[in-house]
Amino acid sequence: MDVELVEIRDFLAEYAPFSLLDAAALNALPRRLAVRYLRRGSAFPPVNENQRCLYAVRQGAIELRTDDGRLTGMLSEGDIFDQDCCAAAEHAIATERSVGTAIEDTLLYLLPCETLQALRRENPALDDYFVRSVAERLRHGRHALGNGPSERTSLMTLTVSDFVRRAPVGAESSLPICEAARIMSREGVSALLIVDSGALCGIVTDRDLRTRCLAQHLAPNEPLARIMSTEVACIGPESAAFEALMLMTRKGIHHLPVVDASGIHGLVSATDLLRWQSTDTVFLVGLIGKSPDVESLMRASAELPELQLQMQGHGATPGQVGQAVASVNDAITCRLIELALQELGPAPVAFTWLACGSQGRHEQTVHSDQDNALILDDAFDDALHGHYFSALAERVNDGLDACGYRYCPGKVMASNPLWRQPQRAWIAIFRGWIGHTDARAAMLAANFLDLRTVYGDTALLMPLHEAIKQAYSKSEVFLANMVANALKNKPPLGFFRNFTLIADGEHADSFDIKRGGLIPVTDIARILALSNGQARIGTLARLREAAGTPVLSAESAHELEEAFEYFGNLRLQHQAEQIRRGQAPDNYLSPAALTSLERSNLKEAFAVVERMQKILSQRYPDRPA
Amino acid sequence: MLLECVERCFGHDFRRRRLLARAPAGPLRDYLATPFPAPDAPSRETAYLALDLETTGADPARNEIVSFGWVCMDGERIDLGSARHYIVRLRGAVSDASAVIHGITDDQCQTGCHLESALAELLATLAGRVMIAHRAETERGFVGHACEAIYGGRILIPTVDTLRIAIRAKARQNRPLQRGDLRLSALRQKYRLPRYRAHNALSDALSTAELFLAQQTESVETTLLKNWLTFR
Repeated sequence: MDVELVEIRDFLAEYAPFSLLDAAALNALPRRLAVRYLRRGSAFPPVNENQRCLYAVRQGAIELRTDDGRLTGMLSEGDIFDQDCCAAAEHAIATERSVGTAIEDTLLYLLPCETLQALRRENPALDDYFVRSVAERLRHGRHALGNGPSERTSLMTLTVSDFVRRAPVGAESSLPICEAARIMSREGVSALLIVDSGALCGIVTDRDLRTRCLAQHLAPNEPLARIMSTEVACIGPESAAFEALMLMTRKGIHHLPVVDASGIHGLVSATDLLRWQSTDTVFLVGLIGKSPDVESLMRASAELPELQLQMQGHGATPGQVGQAVASVNDAITCRLIELALQELGPAPVAFTWLACGSQGRHEQTVHSDQDNALILDDAFDDALHGHYFSALAERVNDGLDACGYRYCPGKVMASNPLWRQPQRAWIAIFRGWIGHTDARAAMLAANFLDLRTVYGDTALLMPLHEAIKQAYSKSEVFLANMVANALKNKPPLGFFRNFTLIADGEHADSFDIKRGGLIPVTDIARILALSNGQARIGTLARLREAAGTPVLSAESAHELEEAFEYFGNLRLQHQAEQIRRGQAPDNYLSPAALTSLERSNLKEAFAVVERMQKILSQRYPDRPA
Repeated sequence: MLLECVERCFGHDFRRRRLLARAPAGPLRDYLATPFPAPDAPSRETAYLALDLETTGADPARNEIVSFGWVCMDGERIDLGSARHYIVRLRGAVSDASAVIHGITDDQCQTGCHLESALAELLATLAGRVMIAHRAETERGFVGHACEAIYGGRILIPTVDTLRIAIRAKARQNRPLQRGDLRLSALRQKYRLPRYRAHNALSDALSTAELFLAQQTESVETTLLKNWLTFR
């Protein structure tokens, strides 16, 4: 049979959800439609339409508003209006009902809801589209982007505990070296944990036996204490396997004891991890660790966009890319600090280099702006040590800028004396923000709540976290200010033709997926974590921890998580395209470059964010404007 | 003028009954047995059928129908489920020129349906409906000629002609006519209707139906069917 009404079929085939139909179903589709014409100014849906229908706009434009006149969306060529066919139960978001007006002469295709139901029964793909929850639809949408979760389990998704194959093999430090060598041979291990009265105090490896014993003519009956390494780097069992590899590469070691509060779990070796997957990130971090000067760091750093491109191509999630990119950023920072220390001499008092913002959360992509700070030991004396740390911070900030991490426009950098303070001053700063919050304090606090140690002693940061926790749990005013800050970035309403539709009805050519999507979710997650007194840093970790608590239903958490991942994937896809074209990656997406399905998924994701923002604004009605 | 119009309309149904009395049994008689839509009914609640024919030439007596395309419209709603497209098996050969225009070759016409079956289905669907066509002389002429040839009786079809509506609108606005202004595609563009790539009898019938929907919306108040009907 000839395909009739070809034009209509071809038109519908371009737009979701009809694009999901197979060829036979598409060929049969036009016959199930009706056509109507609305003159500019007419009500939509048409007043004299007595059947409930799904509407597809063929030509023209329609404006949708709530009863109280607020713009909720606009429809143009290819847009679908399915409000009348979708039972409320099928939408996790309680969408407000909107009615519209044709703002141009408009030609509409109508699919009666009954016919749609029949079509859904006949076409599982179409049924999925309508039945799936928003979260499911977004997850499915991510797979369609071609960078959904990788089928192969990678070092990114595996945890350290996945690599701990056996109980730890240990010995006391008083054991003779020859005895230890016999145990190692018998057990077939290349490293021995030295445990005195239950506490890990050192490690001995094959290499130690060679270089510190045999090569030194040390008697084999000497105790292990003479050849063991005592500064043992450890890792928690729940850490990403990838992180373990990074740590080993950075420190130039091959074994890492796995330890947490409950005790020693075992040992992971670089060989175990590398056998699993050789990653370019590991190579790059290694290269950075060996770089003798800023110039070679700049060359290594220039590889980062290519690395992100490769990871995206292999199906890494935004979280995995964020981890890798942050690791490279951390490695460059550490190396710059090491180079500065070589030049300036050892630090006069202990210090900790901190990352905040997206680097702190492991959520950055390629070269984002710098966001860092320094905590100094309370022994710091400005008159004596001020010059030293100012020089250190400047070298590192300049080096990072040279490597592509531009100076922070808001000067949130360690070279700024404001953000280079002794520990007690930091505690005072945080207490100040929490005690006397204003808009600026809330903005800074949002950034500084995502603090993480990059270099130096984590112990300096701990009391700070404690102080924050104690103070904010008492301050509803602080939270209200944080909410006000979070509501500053609103997601767009959706799209109209090739424009982004902003809440007040304005149009923009492109939209910032960071400000309009990622940051709003990050801010929401941070506030939820704060109000629960939870201390996690990453956005997804915060959402997962808050899920099912009184502040966030499990379902909403799932939706926010999927929306965040969807934004992240779309950003990676967009940046991959830019990197391939040799452009500098940015966060500005053009609606014209999106497919119909991507647009409809984005619209759903925006709606998820908008709904949660609304809930927060209702929860804190007394927040400052 | 109104009186004259009303008289003509009544005359229309009167003529239908006279033709019915003389029509031989069969599709033509069945068609004529169904009353025409009332001329006083609101035009936006009337049943229509948009028809387009493609022919081997302009003269119904000497040329043949190549294809039929039609779609029904109830009130302001075009029902695509009613869309039909029939290519007719020709008695003569397709002239080269019309093959170019319609994109239908001899081969296709040899595999097409018989004129009788297409015509019978058209009449069955058209009964009780008003025909919409662009430059309706062609459709009226060819359908009329076919009815006489096949059933041996005359047909009468209440018609809305989108071309005449456009001419009337131009005349009301005192605008001079430009060449090509009245082509279906040009008129559709004026109303922001989509441009169709394919041209066959069905897509033209649909185009004409959509054009009439748009033309109808130009008058704000309710119009009666008789405001749109064309008489000879």
